[in-house]
Amino acid sequence: MSAAQVAFLVAFSLLLLILVAASAGIVLASARASGPGGRRGMLRALGLSPSLPAASTRWAHYLHRLTGIGIFAFLALHIADVSLLAFSASVYNRVHLLYDTPPLRVFECALVLAVLFHTFNGLRLILTDLADLDLRASQRTLRAVVVVTLMLGLPASVLIMAPVL
Amino acid sequence: MSTRPRTVGQARGRSEPGPPARAGRSWLLIRLTGVLLSVLVLGHLLAVHLLTDVAHTTSSFVLRRWSSGLWIGWDGTMLTAALAHGAAGIWMVVRDHMRPGRGRAAATAVLAVVSLALAGLGWYTIVAVAQTALAAR
Repeated sequence: MSAAQVAFLVAFSLLLLILVAASAGIVLASARASGPGGRRGMLRALGLSPSLPAASTRWAHYLHRLTGIGIFAFLALHIADVSLLAFSASVYNRVHLLYDTPPLRVFECALVLAVLFHTFNGLRLILTDLADLDLRASQRTLRAVVVVTLMLGLPASVLIMAPVL
Repeated sequence: MSTRPRTVGQARGRSEPGPPARAGRSWLLIRLTGVLLSVLVLGHLLAVHLLTDVAHTTSSFVLRRWSSGLWIGWDGTMLTAALAHGAAGIWMVVRDHMRPGRGRAAATAVLAVVSLALAGLGWYTIVAVAQTALAAR
């Protein structure tokens, strides 16, 4: 394994660490916001146990931020790995070989699903404000976002994994 | 007429229609670049990473792509818009979770330096590789 490949894997581990830290941050912030009330209070704060109708789309707000942070971290890694090509084609190719491994193909599937959710949920947020949708319409459009994300993301995942299955 | 909130805006406690008050204009930047990116990023993912298997996006593939003005323009626009969108988005997260003070100022400065450095590195790469690609033709 070359030095550039090791550097790539270190940077990639850092990306995974950022994702874990961001997820932990969300859970801790919601635990603090929910106050006493234990696990049920926390689930309520995350919007996973909606007792209030307004809380039922809150999980999408957290997932939007988590996917946004993850995509930004990957963008930094992607700019860095493609930039190797400006310095040496062989170093770029050696690092690029790592993407053609089962673990990084699984990561690519997660990335595609994250981009799809972030895109369609972002468009939903714009629509909700511009059309001033009511709560029920906002919930319906969120369901549509999940359906479209899976309808496009699962075939894409099959396409990405097919060469190693 | 029911007294239940009819719109998300009313549920949030707004009496006036229209967008809620947000600090600055970064939300507008996020939305405008977001709409642009929904086309550029999904198109990039489909053309570069789904219709071409990752095993084939080698250096010669990138050189071939960046000998076309369309893809140079596409990727350059996407690079700039994505970094602006991401930096503004993370700045919003920083403002939501950090109290005003030195820590927040430091986080904002790091975010700005990292984003500008990534934009510089990305543009340098596109220009350098495109020059190599055009010279090879």
